[in-house]
Order: sequence, then C-alpha cells, then structure tokens
Amino acid sequence: MLTIARLFGKSPFAPLQTHMKRVANCIEKLTDIFDILPKKDLERIEKLAKDLSELEHEADLTKNDIRNHLPKNIFLPIDRSHFLDILSIQDHIADKAEELGILLSFKTLDLQEELKDDLKELYKKSAETFWQAKKIIEELDELVESSFGGIGAEKVKSMVEHTAYLEHEVSHTQRKLLKKILSQNTPLSTTSFYLWEHLIRELGAIAELSEGLANRIRMILELK
Amino acid sequence: MELDSFFQILILVVGFYMAWNIGANDVSNAMGTSVGSGALTLKKAVFFAAVLEFSGAYFAGGSVSETMQRGLLHTNVFLIDPTVFILGMCAALLATGIWLQIASYCGWPVSTTHAMVGSIVGFGLIIGGPEAVQWDRFLPIVLTWVASPMISGLISYLMFIILQKKILYALNPVEATKKLYPFLVFTVFFVFSISLLFNGLENLNLNLSFFELTLIAAFIGFIPACVSYKLVKKVETPSTYPHFSPSRPQNIISLEKAAKHLERVQSASFKNIHDKVSTLASEIHSLAQSMKKEIKPPEKASEYKTVEKMFIYLQIFSACFVAFAHGANDVSNAIGPVAAVLDIIKNGAISEIAVIPSWLLAFGGIGIVLGLATWGWRVIETIGKKITELTPTRGFCAEFGAATTILVASKLGIPLSTTHCLVGAVLGIGLARGMPALNLGMLKEIILSWVITIPASAIMSILMYYLLKAFVFQFFIAH
Repeated sequence: MLTIARLFGKSPFAPLQTHMKRVANCIEKLTDIFDILPKKDLERIEKLAKDLSELEHEADLTKNDIRNHLPKNIFLPIDRSHFLDILSIQDHIADKAEELGILLSFKTLDLQEELKDDLKELYKKSAETFWQAKKIIEELDELVESSFGGIGAEKVKSMVEHTAYLEHEVSHTQRKLLKKILSQNTPLSTTSFYLWEHLIRELGAIAELSEGLANRIRMILELK
Repeated sequence: MELDSFFQILILVVGFYMAWNIGANDVSNAMGTSVGSGALTLKKAVFFAAVLEFSGAYFAGGSVSETMQRGLLHTNVFLIDPTVFILGMCAALLATGIWLQIASYCGWPVSTTHAMVGSIVGFGLIIGGPEAVQWDRFLPIVLTWVASPMISGLISYLMFIILQKKILYALNPVEATKKLYPFLVFTVFFVFSISLLFNGLENLNLNLSFFELTLIAAFIGFIPACVSYKLVKKVETPSTYPHFSPSRPQNIISLEKAAKHLERVQSASFKNIHDKVSTLASEIHSLAQSMKKEIKPPEKASEYKTVEKMFIYLQIFSACFVAFAHGANDVSNAIGPVAAVLDIIKNGAISEIAVIPSWLLAFGGIGIVLGLATWGWRVIETIGKKITELTPTRGFCAEFGAATTILVASKLGIPLSTTHCLVGAVLGIGLARGMPALNLGMLKEIILSWVITIPASAIMSILMYYLLKAFVFQFFIAH
C-alpha cells in the first residue's frame, strides 16, 4: 500500500533555498549598480534598477508560491512560524535591495572623492554580511540530516557568530561615513543629503536583516 | 460434488486469494524503505521478504491465527446450522479480498487486518446477533489498534533520540557510530529473539522461564554483536580529525571570539590600553587566520554519509525484522477463517483446544510469497521510489519500533495493522526532528479509513454471504 509513501510531505527547505537564490540575484544586480555608481551614468543605473525590480518580483513569486504550498497539515522539524519568519526576512532583504536600486536611479549621487572609498567599503561589507547569511541557508540540508545538532550545527553556529561580527563592522562603517558627511566643510544640498542618508540606512538594513536571518537559524539549532 | 468437499475447496481458494492479496499489497511496507534508501536491490529485497514472510507466518503465525479462528465469534451460536458459519467465513474472506483490491486500486489507505476483523465481526453481528460476537475480546483488539501506532511511535522516537544524542550530535559521528554499532546490533537481535521466544515457540514446544529466555536472547544477540564489532573496526574514519589537531575549528572559533572581544575593549578604551589591545587583537586575528589556512574544517557531509552507509546493514536487519513480524501477524487474516471452517467441517464444531495445523500456516505463507512474486515486487519498487526520505538511520529506527510492536502483538495473539504501526513509527521520528517534512493529512485519512473500513467490509461480507448462500442453495440444496 502507498499509505506509507503518502506520509512523506514535500520538504519546503529546498524552495526556501531557491527563494534565497533569487534574493541573491537581486543583491548581485545591486552590486552592478554600485560598481558603476562613480561613472554617474543615470541611464544605465535606471536600466539596472529596472532589472533589479524584475528580479525582486521573481523572488516575490517564489515566496508566494512557498506560502501557498505550505499546507497546514505539514509537519516540519522546525516551528512553522520560524520557517515563515525566515522566509519573510529573506523577502525583506530583496525589498531593501530593490528600494536601494530605485533610489539610486532617481538622482545622480553626489559622490565626492573622499566619500568614494567609504561608500564602497560600506557596500562591500553589507553585501558580505548577506552572502554569509546565504551560506547559512545553504547549510539547511545538512542540518536536517544531523537533525539540527552535532558538528553541522556547531559549524552553523560559528557562521552565525561571524555574521553578527560582520554586521557590527557594517554599523561601524555606517557611522564613520555619516560622521564624515556631517562634518564636511561645504554641506551637501538637502536633496543630496536625503539620498545619502537613505543610502546609508538601507545598506545598514540589509546587513541587519542578514544578521537577523542568521539568528533565526541559530534559534532552530539543537545546541546546549 | 459433496457439499463439504465443495466448502473445503472454496475456503482454501478464497483463503489463498486473501494471502495472495496480503503478499501483493502489504509486504512493500517492510522492504520498500530499504529499496528506497538503496540498502537493497529490488531482487534481494524480494528474496529476503519471501524467506522472512514465510518463516514469520510458519513459526510465529499461530497465535494471531487462533484469535482470528475462534477469538472473535462464539461459534456455538452457529452450531445449529454450521453451513451459515462456513458460508459466512468464506464471504468474509472474499469480501475482504475484493474490498482490498478496490481500495488499493483507488489508493485508499485501508488495513488488511481491520478489514478482515470488520468482515468477520460484521457478519457475526448481523447473522448471529450481538451475542455471537465475543465483545470481551473484540474491544481490547480495537483498543490496541489505537495503542499500537503510539507504542511503535514511542519506541522509534526513543531509538532515534539515542542515535541523535550518541551519533548525530557527536563531534565525530563516524567514530561514535563505531562505538555504538555493536550495541545496536545486540539490541536488535536481543529484542527480536526475546519477542520471538516470548510465550514459547509453539511449533518447537519450547517452554522457558523468563530468566532462561533473557539468557538465550542475550546469547543470540551477543554473537552478531561481536561479528559487527570486528567488521565495524575496518571502516575508515575520515582522516582530517579536528580532535587530534591543534588547529581544530573550535580553537579557531575561540580565537576569533577573543579577537572580537578585544576589539570591543579597543573601541571603548583610550591611549595606552587602546594601543596594547589593538596590537593584541590584530595578533590574535592573524594567528586565527593562519590556523584557518592550515586546516580546512572537516567535510561534514562525508561524515554523515559514512554513518548512513554503516546504517544500511542495520536497516536491512530491521527490514527483515518487519517482514518476519508482518508474516507472523498478517498470515492470520487469511488462515484464521480457513482454520475455523476446516475445523467445523471435520469435527462439526470448533475444537476446545485450538490447533492451527502447520501445513495451513505454510499454505498461507506460500500464498503471501506468491502474491509478492506476482504483484508485490511492483509495489515495492514504487514505494522505494517514493520513499527516499527515509535514510538508513531513520529507516532503522522506524522499522525497529514497528517490528517490535507487531511481533510482541503477534505473540499475544492480537491482530493489528502493520501499516499503522509503521506510520506511527515514522511520526515518532518526526517528533524527534528527524524528518524534513511529514504530511499529517495522512492521519485524517487513516482515521477515516478506520471509520469506513470496518462498516464497509462488514456490509461487503454480508452481501457476499447472501450471494454465496443463493449460489449454494441453487446448486446443492435445491436438487
């Protein structure tokens, strides 16, 4: 009889990882935008931002698909609400990336020479935090195998700690950059400052969300 | 043709049909998971299943068959006209066989045992009246239908918790498996033999005290444990061992933590201290980095893969254990009613001391094996393809829990559903966070099938009874 076979539901972890991959596509596109930012080519940025929006929409579709296909009677090794939280944090990251892309396509950023490197550093660190979180999501398969404990969990735990450290660095850089902008001799125009302020905040948010994601995974580990 | 010999042939044919059905549908439960996890090829699985189902039926199938023979109905009620009883039993067998085929064709989850008990009791209730049913024996059986999945779930839950604590959560799973393996082999064989020898082996006329029983079982468990100890020693442990190397990942992590804390101090201090702390931090950081380069963290994936490979053999044992237990429990569904009818034809009554002739058990066993050979292997193949989630560690725990429950119940003469025990066992592992996803919608279906199977098979058997009766009247009595 196939009764036993029908007992096994489809694991939602693989779709969760697919969603994370889609989110990663958004971050990659955002990297492209930041790479050409010094060239001040608003048209190209606009085009890239449009692509980014498209990618974010794709990620959204995957997200909705997962939500719709997570039936009430499926029994997971992790809490349902944790699972949905993880999904929604991933979704927020994609949202932030999209917002950033669109923001940068509205107006050419007043990127002065002395701010260039700091912005690059901030962006790089923020993205690094995200990639670390993505690595953690990729570990989920193995966590299921070791039923969320053991060396697999130990490894993930250290990865989570590393993510937290990266996030800490991001907020450090964030403050540094903001301080530099505020202490400039010739202040930025109001619109430019608005753009900068948002840019810094959103980049920080990506790192914060990534850290939150890592911590969510930390919560499902079976460690003493 | 004499009416009696007609009945004899009829009951044997429908009994065989029933046994064929059991072999065709239910054996897959035992072996499907092993085929799915790649522990056994289809051919080997069918061979093992055939041998073990038959021996289960032959050596341990007696008690449940007795229950099915005379534990459900008061046969004296029917003694005024034994033909009614004979026809009823034939009808019950035929009805269950047909019902099972319809159900498995439509993919409904029904239990052979529930259907069989349902048809016998249904027939007894309608034709013989409420006093024909042995309520004091029927109700406990129904209670064990609820309890058995829970018990097998509990056993496999505990088993999996042990594996988690000792192996999966260990820092070097392969080494931990090597240590635990002989004990697990011992446990499997010990439990297997103790539940088999429990109540004695009627076919061999063994009567043992509990102490002797434990001793023998321990001895039976000890030998394969020793063998496995020798064999397991040969398994190679992955060479990059974090424990013996100074640059184990834990140390690197600790260093990184220290550096991080120092950085915190650094950002909160001034002048002298600030400088000192920052040099310390950078030194520690570079040390951690160089250690990281020195040794890669061990390949976790390969560790767990080795563990799963080692468990393949245990899973084969436990699958065989299930096949044996299944044979012991389910042969009764086909053989119990046959034995009852043959007894009535021979003696005019159900004899005081129930005897299930050995040849009849063998007959049922052959029926099951034939069902397996002609149809069951297909089902094993499909199930194997569908159940890939049950890896050897999980499969072992589930099968161990289910088989122990079924075998003990078989020795106590309780007919229960193998499928439900396995479902309970898998859920037990799910509760211990061992499964990626379980479809609990199945539970609703099972309970529904529960509620539907018994009345449905009861009604079917009554319909069959009237059909058979009309047929017999037409050809034998009317002339």
